[in-house]
Amino acid sequence: MWSDFFTPDLFASAIRMATPLALAAIGGTICERSGVVNIALEGIMLVGAFFGVVVTLATGNVWVGVLAAILAGILLSAIHAFASVTLRMDQVVSGTALNILALGLTGFVMEVIYGHPGATNGIAHKIGPVFNFPAPGGGVLATIWLWIDQVFLSYTPIVYIAIIVAIVAQWAMYKTRWGLRLRALGEHPRAADTVGVRVQASRYVAVLISGALGGLAGANLTLEQVGVFSDNMTSGRGFIALAANIFGRWTPMGSYLASLLFGFAEAIEIRMQSFQDVIKIPVQFFLMLPYVLVVIVLAGFMGRAVGPAAVGKPYEKE
Amino acid sequence: MSETHEASVIRERMWMKALRTAGVPLLSVVLAMAIGSIIIAASGKDPVAAFGALLTGAFGTPEKWAIGNFKAIGDTISRATPLIFAGLAVAFGFRANLFNIGANGQLLLGSIAAAGLGLALAGLPSLIAVPLILIGAALAGASWAFIPAILKAKVGAHEVITTMMFSWIGLYLTSWIIAGPLADKTVSSQTPMLPEQVWLPTLDKFLPALLRVPVRAHLGFVIAVALAFLVWWILKRTTLGYSVRAVGYNPLAAQNGGISIGITTVYALCISGALAGLAGASEVLGVQHRMFDEVSAGSGFGFTGIAVALLAKNHPIAVIFAAILFGALSAGSSMMQLVANVPDKIVTIIQALIIFFVGAETIINWLIKRRQKLALEQKGATDVE
Amino acid sequence: MPVLELREITKVFPGVRANDRVSFALERGEIVALLGENGAGKSTLMNVVYGLLGPDGGEVLVDGKPVRIRTPRDAIDLGIGMVHQHFMLVEPLTVTENIILGHEPSRFGVIDFATARAKVSELSARYGLKVDPDARVADLSVGMQQRVEILKALYQGARILILDEPTAVLTPQEVRELFAVVRTLVAEGLSVVLITHKLDEVMGVADRVVVMRDGRVVGETTPGQTDQVGLARMMVGRDVVFRVEKAPAKPAEAVLEVRDLVVLDERKLDALKGVSLTVRAGEVVGIAGVDGNGQRELVEAIVGLRRPKSGSISLRDKDITHASPHATIEAGVSHVPEDRHRRGLVLEFDLAENLVLGDQAGPPYASGGVMHTKVIDETARTRVADYDVRTPSIRVLAGALSGGNQQKLVLARELGRNPDLLIAAQPTRGLDVGAIEFVHKRILAERDSGKAVLLVSMELEEIMSLSDRILVMYEGKVAVEFSAGEADAERIGFFMTGGAKHSGSAATAPKSSVAEAGAL
Repeated sequence: MWSDFFTPDLFASAIRMATPLALAAIGGTICERSGVVNIALEGIMLVGAFFGVVVTLATGNVWVGVLAAILAGILLSAIHAFASVTLRMDQVVSGTALNILALGLTGFVMEVIYGHPGATNGIAHKIGPVFNFPAPGGGVLATIWLWIDQVFLSYTPIVYIAIIVAIVAQWAMYKTRWGLRLRALGEHPRAADTVGVRVQASRYVAVLISGALGGLAGANLTLEQVGVFSDNMTSGRGFIALAANIFGRWTPMGSYLASLLFGFAEAIEIRMQSFQDVIKIPVQFFLMLPYVLVVIVLAGFMGRAVGPAAVGKPYEKE
Repeated sequence: MSETHEASVIRERMWMKALRTAGVPLLSVVLAMAIGSIIIAASGKDPVAAFGALLTGAFGTPEKWAIGNFKAIGDTISRATPLIFAGLAVAFGFRANLFNIGANGQLLLGSIAAAGLGLALAGLPSLIAVPLILIGAALAGASWAFIPAILKAKVGAHEVITTMMFSWIGLYLTSWIIAGPLADKTVSSQTPMLPEQVWLPTLDKFLPALLRVPVRAHLGFVIAVALAFLVWWILKRTTLGYSVRAVGYNPLAAQNGGISIGITTVYALCISGALAGLAGASEVLGVQHRMFDEVSAGSGFGFTGIAVALLAKNHPIAVIFAAILFGALSAGSSMMQLVANVPDKIVTIIQALIIFFVGAETIINWLIKRRQKLALEQKGATDVE
Repeated sequence: MPVLELREITKVFPGVRANDRVSFALERGEIVALLGENGAGKSTLMNVVYGLLGPDGGEVLVDGKPVRIRTPRDAIDLGIGMVHQHFMLVEPLTVTENIILGHEPSRFGVIDFATARAKVSELSARYGLKVDPDARVADLSVGMQQRVEILKALYQGARILILDEPTAVLTPQEVRELFAVVRTLVAEGLSVVLITHKLDEVMGVADRVVVMRDGRVVGETTPGQTDQVGLARMMVGRDVVFRVEKAPAKPAEAVLEVRDLVVLDERKLDALKGVSLTVRAGEVVGIAGVDGNGQRELVEAIVGLRRPKSGSISLRDKDITHASPHATIEAGVSHVPEDRHRRGLVLEFDLAENLVLGDQAGPPYASGGVMHTKVIDETARTRVADYDVRTPSIRVLAGALSGGNQQKLVLARELGRNPDLLIAAQPTRGLDVGAIEFVHKRILAERDSGKAVLLVSMELEEIMSLSDRILVMYEGKVAVEFSAGEADAERIGFFMTGGAKHSGSAATAPKSSVAEAGAL
């Protein structure tokens, strides 16, 4: 039974599930490092997921859909940036408003375009895996190949993009001018200001990047994973991503690895559902698993995690 | 106490503040409606017809004051009732600087407790059973806030994430209870109907002379309003309320004054949870008379509670009016969908916009200042003449 | 031709004219002191020069040419550097990262750290500002952090250096060192503006003194032409009594007894390493020391905000070592916290609510969990009158009061409670002369009525004029005790830096090496 449970596909599934979380979490990391809390990630993912489908259905081109998803994320995050940076609004309140706006807007537009609530029409073709290697013949080699193929080579493009984003963002944060300024911004914006770093503009850029990544996360959900958009389908992933960012100690690689943990919980949850006849635990308890894990991780870890000192505080020149 | 220059400046500033306190929410609602109209127009529908239908749905027809008005207003009141509880819940948390974004989870726990207790206490007389159920629901809601509260107090885990996670956990937990232990034998995704003696009676039962038709508004509304006053009194006149507000405004100064931040946090979030639990109970006992599985529902009263609290600027009495506004929007939205063919999701959009504008006081303040400046300039011009 | 000239600069804040047609000139190779009280408009003026504030009128000239400075970037490009009173350093970043921030040597956006480090080392050697380029700023002492700030300005190419209250956090020895560096800079052709309110510094280092009061320049002189008394008169606008008048102390029985107290700081390191002290009824015990040598932890441990690791604290023979803040208040301890905005007041509460903070839970202000508004308001009116808090009503929010009135409010609450022990931490920080006098008189009145007073202050002058006994804290220990008569600033300062270990070597030695401190 265990060999049926821990198949290569379980690990592959974990990485797939981790992808939207990781993209959003890295977005959250960049955003918070600049000093802006982005709890609107949930809504950003949602509009990304939705408009990805809408535009794919309208144009017939799934890549145009991906671009639309990113753009939708950027637009929503632009409102958040305007609210938190320019208007100096409470960032959590702005994020909440945008999450609710995303719920309403996706539901509203869905009914206007497709004439029914609940879900959009499905897209014709999801984005397929990047590689497609033929399986070799039998034997031990074939098993090893199966593992390699499944765990490393079976993914759709955005899954790989997420890994690249994590590595590049990690490097950029510690080795580039942008990264140094970003790290300074969230800790002591005034210090950055006094040496000529443009605090507000830099924060805008960070928030918009988080929007783009959140939108891409949404595209991954609908255009690579599910193939259709349904109401509120992000189901708290934006918030799990924020937890992953904290668990990852506000670093891009850390966010990715923490997302992997939560993605693994999701993969196990899905796997357990197919073992329900054997395990005899109601399905709802599996569904709780990722959320419970987040709480446990925060409970055990939170005391030691210290975020950027100025996060959540609007910057005001005297 | 001499009236120095400083003193007069202070006095003037306080007046300005009072003006803004009242002005910002009103302007926010107007702005949100205006943008809502633009969205409706952009979707190819007629915003005037839409809002006309919404008003009719919420308050009845203005021409003839008749039975239909009672029914419509009753609907509005009925929809406002859980929102008062939920709004109070979120507002109470905000007063301690806690954002109970997961009020929806506590609300579901309150609902399931009400449904379970309602079935279990079927033999008891109403006057005993109903209070017991309400207390049970409040405790269930409080219990769902307890772990996030402890985590916040002990390790500083942010309540926005933890209550949100508990909201989802609560959703699946209640879903399981409804599918399993409390399942209706005949129809799936709901509990059996509660016995009539644990229902919260509709208001026409109390005022048959005034309300000559059956209305949806029920006793829960009266309880909610009474509770709003109670919460106001607690915040203003009790040491608990003092501690909650002190911790909310300045935890370090509160601590310096001997108030325990941790204990106050736990109290505040649990009371918030209890109020949210009552929102669920009021809906189960007063409207649904059973509990439905909410897994497929998008956003719940808990979310609207956030909008209510923010619009009311966390003032318990103002919560009543904010809740009635959102109740009217909700009650009218079905009519709007029916008559003007505008999806009722527009209400969610308006709700979001109101939160946004109330939160972004700076926009509104900027508008007010601009108006004042214009008025001043005009006044200056006439003075010269 | 002056390197920097200001003509008729005006800056208006709501209700205040912070700078009123201020003119000022700085010559090349000159040290000019800008002298004035808190709130005189010195920092505002320099923030205008540095592009942090936009002026409402007037003009700025650099090298004789009119310039517009809209942002700090403009100022830096013009060769103006500023070391702010509150350092503009990003603590988790390294020294090098802080210095290059905003002017990073980079290729295609990728920072060339090797070049950066080399440049920092070179500057550091040239001006005698020794510092480890790879150390995290958070791990440096305050004096070292100041060096990083100066290096940062030099790295950015400053020719004009503005130092805003640079000595506020330094020991007398560190001050001497700083001034030596300043003289080197001037010798190298830089020009320095020194913002200060300390008269002795002005006399010691400045070539010229410009005095500001109420947003205006009220006079200009050189140290040779005047003395401290003359300067003080110019600065305050009337004669100033340097020594607070006080009767001799009549110390009675011990009220506060602290024995071998060990307390941890946020980083779980020993902030207090076995402190013992006694405060008697009817005396003021002053704690002197450079910020961050355990004073804050000592106060927080006594009032119950911080849990001691070992040792004991007792109040009139009652053990309060592990008492909660609430229990400590009940036991008779009042606390004027060092930061009234952060810890002293709830700015969103009205005056009446603020005046019962700490006593709100019990009689006479509350019983059975319900507050007695009438009693609270009556008490508040009396206190507001007694302590001369200027306000139209007790319903006014504390945040609407001026700094001096806020501090009076805190005193009204803490003294109105009639405590056995008063702990006053930085009680006059940021106040004007009038308010300072008021606070000092009240503290001495408490002493004379038989209360025990523990005073913690960075202001050596304040410690010396109020205290009957002075304890100097250094690295979590009481380094020495003086009685009121035997201490002078130089001797106290000597112990503030660890005694025998002169601050010159402290610059290179790691901060935590306490071992030598005892070898006096």
